[in-house]
Amino acid sequence: MEAIMEKLKILADSAKYDVSCSTSGVGRRNNGRIGNAHAAGICHSWSADGRCISLLKVLFTNKCAYDCEYCINRRSNDFPRASFEPDEIARLTIEFYRRNYIEGLFLSSAVEKSPDYTAERILEALRLLRYKYGFAGYIHAKIIPGVSQEILHQIGLVADRLSVNIEMPNSESLALFAPQKKPKQIFAPMRQITNTLIERNSLVGPGTMFKGKDINSPENYLGVQQISSETKSFRALSTNAGRETFAPAGQTTQMIIGAGGESDKNILTTSENLYHAFKMKRVYYSAYIPVVKSDILPDISTAPPLAREHRIYQADWLLRFYGFSVGELFNSGDENLDPDLDPKVTWALRNLDKFPIEVNKAPYEMLLRIPGVGAVSAKRIVRQRRVSAVKFDDLKKMGVVVKRAKYFITCVGRYYGERRFEPDTIKNSILQMENGLQLSMFDNNWKALEAGARQEKLSAAGVI
Amino acid sequence: MDYLYDGTFEGLLTCVHHHYYTEKADGIFTKGVYQPSLLNGYMEVETDEMKATTVYEAIEKKISTYDLRRIYRVFLSSDSDKEMKILRYLVLGFRKGSAVSMLHGDPVVYDIESLEKKVGREKERMLQFVRFSVMANDVLYARIEPDHDVVELTAHHFCDRYRNDPFIIHDVKRNKALVAFQGQWYISHFEDRDIPDVSADEKEYRRLWKNYFDNIAIKERTNPRCQKNFMPVRYWKNLTEVNFS
Ligand code: SF4
Repeated sequence: MEAIMEKLKILADSAKYDVSCSTSGVGRRNNGRIGNAHAAGICHSWSADGRCISLLKVLFTNKCAYDCEYCINRRSNDFPRASFEPDEIARLTIEFYRRNYIEGLFLSSAVEKSPDYTAERILEALRLLRYKYGFAGYIHAKIIPGVSQEILHQIGLVADRLSVNIEMPNSESLALFAPQKKPKQIFAPMRQITNTLIERNSLVGPGTMFKGKDINSPENYLGVQQISSETKSFRALSTNAGRETFAPAGQTTQMIIGAGGESDKNILTTSENLYHAFKMKRVYYSAYIPVVKSDILPDISTAPPLAREHRIYQADWLLRFYGFSVGELFNSGDENLDPDLDPKVTWALRNLDKFPIEVNKAPYEMLLRIPGVGAVSAKRIVRQRRVSAVKFDDLKKMGVVVKRAKYFITCVGRYYGERRFEPDTIKNSILQMENGLQLSMFDNNWKALEAGARQEKLSAAGVI
Repeated sequence: MDYLYDGTFEGLLTCVHHHYYTEKADGIFTKGVYQPSLLNGYMEVETDEMKATTVYEAIEKKISTYDLRRIYRVFLSSDSDKEMKILRYLVLGFRKGSAVSMLHGDPVVYDIESLEKKVGREKERMLQFVRFSVMANDVLYARIEPDHDVVELTAHHFCDRYRNDPFIIHDVKRNKALVAFQGQWYISHFEDRDIPDVSADEKEYRRLWKNYFDNIAIKERTNPRCQKNFMPVRYWKNLTEVNFS
């Protein structure tokens, strides 16, 4: 037990900078001996930093053979090291799960010896968990770049969600900060996951980006995939090959914000490409927290760029759910998002010629673009106006954030913004409003403010 | 007329019956906590299975099964005026039929909605915050002290989660427990002396969890207000991770 305690301490410590911990995306009744998956996800606890604890988030090992510049586990860092045995991690998960501490396991890992050596041990741990202990709860497995196709496939058969971290938004940064990871080793497993999901007709895609389109049709298949003979024979051998699920909660990835010199536009363009090419469910962003001394990274005393991360999440949300493209979000030639205003407002102010929009006439796609109107309220507006005209007083009840939306709409022909319809006056009113809100809700302490805002972004509401 | 009843759901349905067929109720109270009022007379309502069944079926038929479930959840709340709120809702329901739940603007409906929301929220919190201990014969045992009487609402979720493990969720405040095994469950009277012995390695796993919990927080982002907002302090008493010593 003491040995496990020590390992858990070291390997949880190494894993905690990973941001994606949601369990949502898959609902399943108990089909094993123990466990189920709740579609909406359950948080069991909140750690002192206010983050939800839903999964046991650990590394399998932090004995890394690689030397990524930004990483606490890099080979050249003098740091306590440990590796789990497959059964240890399986047992720990099941014992925590029984006690209702967690919803499942989020298993990531450094590269011990080689990608395949590590991935095989991870696979063994997950199989023990699923088959020896009969665990039917949630498993998110990180895929190590460079892993072989066979092992990736096997991991997909026992995990709910797979993710390959892209880490950096472009190949120059990747070469600079993670020299042992080659773009090909990252994109090949991403492609394999997407193709396998298409084969099984179970690719879901990001948000509402591909709504109404058949993304599982063979033409979305990404290039020619060489299926090795082992994979083939495994498929033939397996008795219920068609029925077993492969990563039912889909694929995600994660990018680090603020380690290199990339612009917001660069970052979001990469996300947009990932959404289009791999149709992955989502890209997570992680503000870089300086944990190691380095000549090419921000100084160790630099505060993590949480506000920037927040704006990027908002913009990402606009891509996935609101029909925006990165091109539109930056069309004035800027490389970065406005730090003071949410990107939807910025877009609207730059496109005032499209406003004010009459809520009783505008098509659904335009309603979505009004600051203060979310997807739910846009749908409500469309539904109600079929029966009778939507009046200004109805908007609030429909979930519209009226104090923001009023500058951009007319309601039965009337404009309700109290100032003149000009970019600067509107911008000032909105800024005043948001500052007032922030001052009343938080101290003048950047930590509380940013972390609170961060929670908001992770909530389902997102930006409206 | 004030009614005094035994605090059971059947008892409350019996009161509804009397409201229609005997004399209108001005207040409904649980026996024992009632302070006699000078203004209204009072009567003791004896729970009557026939009368309760009549009302039960009338709600199903004339209002809806949805509303029957709804008032049951509201009945589980600890609101001191829940009985009258339910009665007013049913009176309105018998007039409006199944449309009653859509009358969001009506204060009678609003009362029920907000109590239902409170009960529902606490049930969800129990799914999050129940912490089991593994006992000597592999029984799972948890202590809870919810504001509302929600223990039975957690049965569905936990019966699925632990299909093969017997488990007990003990509401310490109300001396009752949900006892379940293989999808079957019942509510029984339960006291501290009924608690089984704890298993040998239970302490170790608690320690591991506590250790994990302390470790996973990122120091640079410490934010106790946010933490307490999601995890209200009144539930901390039974949370292993903040309480282990
Ligand atoms: S591969 Fe790179 S990022 Fe991953 S653990 Fe090793 S050093 Fe860190």
